[in-house]
Amino acid sequence: MPVLDIPLPAFMAIPFVAGLIGLAAPARAARWLALAASAGAFAYTIFMIADFAPGGEGLRYVTDEPWIPELGIRFSLGVDGLSLFLISLTALLWLAATLAAAFRPPDRLFERPAAFFFHMGLAETAVLGAFLAQDLALFVAFFDLMLVPFYFLIGQWGGRERVAATTKFVIYTLVGSLLMLAAAVALGVLSTPKGGELSFALPELARRSLPEGTQIPIFLAFAAAFLVKAPAFPFHGWLPDAYRATPLPVLALLSAVLSKVGVYGFIRVVLPILPDASVALQELMLVIAVFSILYGSALAFSTDDARLVVGYSSIAQLGFIVLGIFALDPKGAQGAVLQMVTHGVVAAALFLIIGVLAVRAGGSESLARMGGLAMRAPVLAALFLIVSFATLAMPGSPNFVGELLILFGTFEDKIVYGLVASVGIVLAAVYMIRFFQAAMHHRAGPEVASREMGRVDMAGIAPLVAVVVALGIYPQLVLARTEGDTTARLREARQLAGGVPDTEAQPARGVTPGGATVPGEAPIRSPSRPGGESVP
Amino acid sequence: MTPVSWGWVVLLLPLAGTIGIALGWRALPGRSAGWLGSVTVGLSFLAGIGMYLTLEELPHEERRLVGSAFRYIGTDTVDVDLAILADPLSTFMVLVVSGVSFLIHVYSVSYLGSDRGYARFFAYLNFFVFSMLLLVLAANFVLLIVGWAFVGAASYLLISFWYRRDTATSAGIKAFVINVIGDVALVVAAFLILNELGTLDYLGAFEAVREVPHDEGVLVATCLLLLVGAFAKSGQIPLHTWLPDAMEGPTPVSALIHAATMVTAGVYLIARCHPLFERAPTAAAIGAVIGTLTLVFAATVALVATDLKRIIAYSTISQIGYMVLGVTAFAYSAGLFHLMTHAFFKALLFMGAGSVVSALGMTNESIDRMGGFRKAMPFTFVTFTIGAAALASFPLLSGFFSKDEVIAYALHRGGIYSVLGIVAYAAALLTAFYAFRMVFRVFFGEPVPEAQQLAEGELAHVGPRNPLTGEEEDTDVGFPGPEHHIAEHSWSMKAPMAVLAVLAVVGGVVAIPGLTHGVETFLEPTFAESEFIADKPAPADQLKDLAIGGVLALLGIAAAYLVYIRRPGLARSARERLRPVHSFFAHKWYFDELYDRAFVRPSRGLGRFGRTTVERVLVQGAIVGGATGVVRAGTALARSIQTGYLRAYALLLLAGVCALALYFLIASG
Amino acid sequence: MGIAWFVVLSAFIFCIGAAGVLTRRNPLVILLCLELMLNAGNLALIAFARASGNGDGQVFALIVMVVAACEVVIGLGLIVAMYRRKLPIDADQMSELRG
Repeated sequence: MPVLDIPLPAFMAIPFVAGLIGLAAPARAARWLALAASAGAFAYTIFMIADFAPGGEGLRYVTDEPWIPELGIRFSLGVDGLSLFLISLTALLWLAATLAAAFRPPDRLFERPAAFFFHMGLAETAVLGAFLAQDLALFVAFFDLMLVPFYFLIGQWGGRERVAATTKFVIYTLVGSLLMLAAAVALGVLSTPKGGELSFALPELARRSLPEGTQIPIFLAFAAAFLVKAPAFPFHGWLPDAYRATPLPVLALLSAVLSKVGVYGFIRVVLPILPDASVALQELMLVIAVFSILYGSALAFSTDDARLVVGYSSIAQLGFIVLGIFALDPKGAQGAVLQMVTHGVVAAALFLIIGVLAVRAGGSESLARMGGLAMRAPVLAALFLIVSFATLAMPGSPNFVGELLILFGTFEDKIVYGLVASVGIVLAAVYMIRFFQAAMHHRAGPEVASREMGRVDMAGIAPLVAVVVALGIYPQLVLARTEGDTTARLREARQLAGGVPDTEAQPARGVTPGGATVPGEAPIRSPSRPGGESVP
Repeated sequence: MTPVSWGWVVLLLPLAGTIGIALGWRALPGRSAGWLGSVTVGLSFLAGIGMYLTLEELPHEERRLVGSAFRYIGTDTVDVDLAILADPLSTFMVLVVSGVSFLIHVYSVSYLGSDRGYARFFAYLNFFVFSMLLLVLAANFVLLIVGWAFVGAASYLLISFWYRRDTATSAGIKAFVINVIGDVALVVAAFLILNELGTLDYLGAFEAVREVPHDEGVLVATCLLLLVGAFAKSGQIPLHTWLPDAMEGPTPVSALIHAATMVTAGVYLIARCHPLFERAPTAAAIGAVIGTLTLVFAATVALVATDLKRIIAYSTISQIGYMVLGVTAFAYSAGLFHLMTHAFFKALLFMGAGSVVSALGMTNESIDRMGGFRKAMPFTFVTFTIGAAALASFPLLSGFFSKDEVIAYALHRGGIYSVLGIVAYAAALLTAFYAFRMVFRVFFGEPVPEAQQLAEGELAHVGPRNPLTGEEEDTDVGFPGPEHHIAEHSWSMKAPMAVLAVLAVVGGVVAIPGLTHGVETFLEPTFAESEFIADKPAPADQLKDLAIGGVLALLGIAAAYLVYIRRPGLARSARERLRPVHSFFAHKWYFDELYDRAFVRPSRGLGRFGRTTVERVLVQGAIVGGATGVVRAGTALARSIQTGYLRAYALLLLAGVCALALYFLIASG
Repeated sequence: MGIAWFVVLSAFIFCIGAAGVLTRRNPLVILLCLELMLNAGNLALIAFARASGNGDGQVFALIVMVVAACEVVIGLGLIVAMYRRKLPIDADQMSELRG
């Protein structure tokens, strides 16, 4: 039972409001405001996690107001086990990225800091909105809104070729989003029963059913949008240019958080509402996932650009997540959610570390020009090593738990896909160790001047590493809280796929009385505590 | 205190050591990091003894205790705790691992005394001990896999310890990747176990497997996957190529990880999962065949190799083949006893080799450049010879009792195992030969210049070089330190070597057939439900087999004496005459070349293909280019109306109005 | 007399004017032809006003004349501006609105 009552619209708007104030405030204040806002948002999420009892499920802190009644759109926000850790991931990483951006040595990123932090704030609000939205139209709106500040962040503060890169990135994403918009509208309209009301609320849409033939094109449109975001092969064409041009703190967010909104959309929107199509097109999605894993890994170990190693590796990791989701098995889905969180932390840490490495290698991010950076930098080497091991899913890291659950879920019915995906694990070891060695070991590259990490770098990277280690020791922290809601989203699809219905509607472990709502049915009530307790 | 509490103490002490050294290395003066590391492992060994004593106090049936810390993964189907299992097998492994690790830690205090990465070394070494103890104490398959991977990580870190050497880093990545292949095999096996037996806990799974019929398909597949994992870790064919390369690491690393402990993890795994293997005898037989094949292969390569450490490495691969043969022939106590004695004499051999390599200024490990060190290094000579004799199964030494007992059981088991046993005898002959080949080449014959200098009291000081490639290096961080230490000059090296030498000599006492059954009795509770527990060869048969082994050993030693002392030219002429055979052995049966062709080059090619062709042509060209092309074509079409010509616009206007008028005219009419 | 003749005449004049707008290149001539089209419309309006007997058509014709006058002013002003800037007085060459 949630103890606190956290008004979600306020929580969501904190970064944006801070960004707005920062625009008006004197130049130096902008970054402190941004830091304070992201720290505040992160503190909020810690409360949310502490407030969520292990084994609980159901939406909480619900805000549900009619917004555009003629179109059936409601302003509906809520947190449940599925989005809880994604929200805290967003807040944590925004804090780390803001820290990294705020205290950079004077360079291009320092130009117009007020505008920069405004865009960061707007982006954070949009991403939080996407994770919090419980109404399809709202979700689509935030999904598209996310793109706008990134267009500016890349286009104005990026590296060489930034305009071309951001244009490609935006157009690619928008094509997918356009398809998604059309599909969302179609979904809302077509699912309205005769004489019924048009509604875009997610639980309502899940209740209404569509014939399979209608579901399939809608599924494909949503899939296009989400797979471009992830990115998955073959929709990843925007990745190399965008990853090269984006400034590193922003890139950490792009790779770690934005990609997750896409795959989150699969679990939140697609699986519960389009179960027949999910089952019918399961094999297609699994093939795309496996291809992404192998292709991303192959590219990762044949590139010399440090950013692209991590970028291609993200294609592979997101492939694993998609594999876990479309295994249509509770283990797989839980592994996918855990992997979303851990990959986010690890990817962000890697990009921040690349920034640290580049400074010490004469400004270059090419692996050929690095080398021997471990000398006189034991802490950097240690943190980089831990992050590398986590990325390749070394058992003992939370990424391993995620991949274990994903593979176990895939092995249940689709063992061949699982076995092919396992090859990706070996490839991950190859490219990550190659990356680590090329940067830290061997003799020093030309222009390499190694030194230990500075305090600011430590402040950004060390907490992320601490989160990785902590989750590695106690992954149950995340698993216990995501189980209820994640499995609930899968229920329909699994039953259609002929899976064994899981221990259905059993009271979730350890939940306090009156708190467990029927899964799949978010309470659409006035903002207050969910569950049977009446408002005092 | 209960055995489980002792188990936690055993596990957490080395972890504390690692963290302590890692965080506080700047505050630790001189060699104290080394002593701290050694003390934690030593205390761990004492805790292991506590575990042993408290376990012995319990009645037989109760000697299997699980202690759980907290729930690690708790989903609907996968339910795994962070739990350790205290039973005779794990206690046995704990004692062997922590005991030998302690001795090697003490040895390393001097050996790496002047290395710039001293504290880092001990942090890694303690982490390794923690990982290995986690592996043997784990109570379920998930924690086993975690320990398994940690051990692999520690091995990687220690192999590429001198990280500015390219040969070291490539050896490290090779070892790590092969280890990951083993990890993946274990993950798939874990799934099959979960699916088939319903739980990932050892005790639960081993109970449930009794319902499964013999040689059922899934069970055989599971056991084969476990074998893949075991062989990747233990360096058996075909996943052995990393072990000789792992000699790039400092010698104490080779002693600890690649002789005494990590590589035995595979043997431990098979012994631990014996209920599964006993119900899938096909898999066990396949394992035995591969073990024996490896045994022979490694012995032949050790015959002709010239790098001292690599000879000992191949010898390790070969001896582990014996252990594998033992446990897959369901002779658990024999296999594990050989594990124990092997740990003693192999660590001893490596320590001696470390001393010799130091005497050569650490620039060289080839026995071609060694000779006549007998007078200059008497202590090293004696201990090394004891180790070699134990390896060769010289009668009454520890190796004699352990190795030949394995063969005895194999012969007793019958069927294919008898054949394998005979092959093992043949390899034992080779073993004795190459063991003393090392002794005679290194310590006898004309003293090389370094030996002469040393006999006069001066340790050779050559410029730093990579022993494998001869490339010049420096002595900064990431390379070996400036000073070299030999056993004769430092008591912290002498003491562990002496202890191990004594153990190598008398260690056989605990398992003399017909007289003492120390190992067997102690391990009995773990293997109580084994079908083969009572199926032992008669003491008389065992003694007969031991005698045959002893005779073969003496023959091998005599042959080596003949070839290397009496008639030195014999080796060269044999090499000339059997050139193709020699070349085949010297190239390690061309495994590395095979893997390079089959895996390394194709995957690199695939990556390149992906980057150039697929990326450029397909993705950027077709999809991105195609998408933008379509958009451009569409907009071009729309743009074509905007000609800019006034008259064209006027025409359009007129035409539009006429069309509308016509429409309304017709519609209303 | 029926108004058929007037409407046919108006149509003729309209078509002549439209043909002129579409085929001539000189802006002055285009303006002239536009005037023709407008006046053809005027003629039709007045004819129908006469036929229906109320003055709505005539009033509207007056409005059309006013609009025509304003439009001619602007058009001629544009042409004078073009001439002053030495731009070619040719409708085909004024194609900067090309997309």
